[in-house]
Amino acid sequence: MSYEVMVGNKATAVGCKLARVQVASAYPITPQTSITEYLSEMYASGEIPNFEFVNVDGELSAHVVAQAASAAGARAFTCTGGPGLLYMHHPMCETAGKRLPLVMAVVHRGNKSMQPDHSDLMSQQFLGWIHLYLENAQEILDTVIMAYKIAEDKRVRLPLAFGYDGYVLSYTAEPVEIPPQEEVDKFLPPYEPIPNILPDKADPESFARGWGEGDPMKPWQQHHEALVNAEAVIREVTADWAKKFGRSYGNGMIETYRVEGAEAIITAMGTIAGTAMAAVDNLWKEGKKVGLVKIRSFIPFPRKDFQELAEKIDAIGVFDRSCQPGMWGPSYHQVRSTLYDKEDRIPVLGFIGGLSGKEVRVTDIMKVGEKTLEAARSGKLEFPIQWV
Amino acid sequence: MSQRLLRTQIPAEELIIAPGSTCQGCGAAITARLVFKVLGPNIIRHGIPACPDHVTKHPRQGSVFEAGGASLTGTARALKAIGRTDVKAVALFGDGGVYDIGLQALSGAAERNENILVVVKDNEAYMNTGGQRSGGTPKYAETSTNPVGPRSRGKEEPKKNIPMIFAAHYVPYIATASIAFPEDLMAKVKYAKDVEGFRMIIVSSPCPVAWGFDPAKTIEIARLGVQTGVLPIYEILNGVSFKLNYKPKELKPVSEFLKPQGRFRHITEAEINEIQTETTSRWQKLLKADELNQVIL
Repeated sequence: MSYEVMVGNKATAVGCKLARVQVASAYPITPQTSITEYLSEMYASGEIPNFEFVNVDGELSAHVVAQAASAAGARAFTCTGGPGLLYMHHPMCETAGKRLPLVMAVVHRGNKSMQPDHSDLMSQQFLGWIHLYLENAQEILDTVIMAYKIAEDKRVRLPLAFGYDGYVLSYTAEPVEIPPQEEVDKFLPPYEPIPNILPDKADPESFARGWGEGDPMKPWQQHHEALVNAEAVIREVTADWAKKFGRSYGNGMIETYRVEGAEAIITAMGTIAGTAMAAVDNLWKEGKKVGLVKIRSFIPFPRKDFQELAEKIDAIGVFDRSCQPGMWGPSYHQVRSTLYDKEDRIPVLGFIGGLSGKEVRVTDIMKVGEKTLEAARSGKLEFPIQWV
Repeated sequence: MSQRLLRTQIPAEELIIAPGSTCQGCGAAITARLVFKVLGPNIIRHGIPACPDHVTKHPRQGSVFEAGGASLTGTARALKAIGRTDVKAVALFGDGGVYDIGLQALSGAAERNENILVVVKDNEAYMNTGGQRSGGTPKYAETSTNPVGPRSRGKEEPKKNIPMIFAAHYVPYIATASIAFPEDLMAKVKYAKDVEGFRMIIVSSPCPVAWGFDPAKTIEIARLGVQTGVLPIYEILNGVSFKLNYKPKELKPVSEFLKPQGRFRHITEAEINEIQTETTSRWQKLLKADELNQVIL
């Protein structure tokens, strides 16, 4: 094991190297840019054998280069953020439709400013990708490797996007443990394309697109089932990683902090989770028993986890770092609908904060915890949604 | 430059799907037949929305309309990374995907000199959607989005000079060809097949539906396009060396090409004269370029 102090974007690039990515393509956009530079350096230095890095004319091409490379039989990677991600929307839809295990880093930059929030990746939530939200540089490096194992699993075969907050994580240096290459190679087998489109190995299904063949809804059902299956694979791969490398990320779907004996829980995604841990510690010191759930996988959503947690606590405060104007926060809706079928429903509060890079302080999260605790004790909701 | 191809050198094996999904007299289907005969089976064919698309027996790499050049790039780089450069990344795209919506991604691929071959079946309109104008539609042609009326004489703008635009990327090989000159077309494909880097062959592929002619006359119309100088066939190496492949002593008048086509049925003598003047002037420039063996923009 070796350690290096590195920024989040370098953790992404080093993760790509360890995962033996064969083709990467990207277009620079703040705050993702330095990934493209790290990958360019890795190409120029020849430190990754048989690695192709393609500097393209825009994010749309970046995505399609990686998509086609993945289909042609190379482990492929791309990365972007904010408007670049919106520009990729069309081919992202096709990458998922083709069930290609492409992995993409999304360095969050909100839709209304250059500063971070989760509105970029949240605006892609209907395309059928796996969406993970990450908290620190170590988690980024480890997740790049785990991401390929999840995405390439035959039960899944879907593209995976992991998001992390721009600036606060992309450009912040932290000590990161780098696992040895031979251990990573044992963990992540070489990539096999399905179907294979090489002329001498091609599966007949790759020959034509077969308009009007079979039930037109079947690909949708299979796609949906694969995303549902992804939950078990995320859990398995995360547990396997913990066993082999000694670092765990909860059960892969969520991470919990001080939920044992808590009266209420709050949720957070991405870097907000770090701030929330400090807030939770302060609350417990004041005798306020509030636990934290970090939502790591937004798609598939950790329904089972929330249903189980809801048995033990009396209210949930959901913190969203994005807002669908007129329709509130995306994870708020997921938590609320997940708990709807329970006979004994508990109050679910929604909090929206950190939009367009607005600072979220420990005291802000403490207020979120206090309001949730009030609802837990009274069983009442004054107003379900609040701006932080 | 391409070398003369004898008929005996043309492979007998057919690689297109027959009967295909094309209309009678489809110029693009003929393009596909001639091109893929020469390319053989060891290719991955790239497709973007185009008419017709479901044309050959090769494995198909499909992509979004606007990023054909990126799709070819991804395949070519993957083949390099996995050590399978014996397989070629080849495209059969239409004029819409090359002249218009896909221009940026293809320009990027050309600028990076990606190791890809782009065959363009140019039918001068969006035929997948039923005959709307494209950047490849010539001036005065009537399309469903350039209907002739009191305010319109058909398309107002000339056909985009896409071969020269790509030649200006200084890529190894650019050629124009026509289905009416099959040996010339196939010789160009044979040459382009093994050149390293970005290669593009733009094949004039008349469409009976868009152009408005009897489907039995496809080759005849295509031939008149070349013989009148409206659709000249030439080759460009590295954006510099130029060779005109068909040089009759005298060009036929453009009216012989225009008059049999429904899309030009409304044009006046004055408009024909305008097209004639333009065509003659461009032809003089091509002759000069051929003489100098150098591109003149």
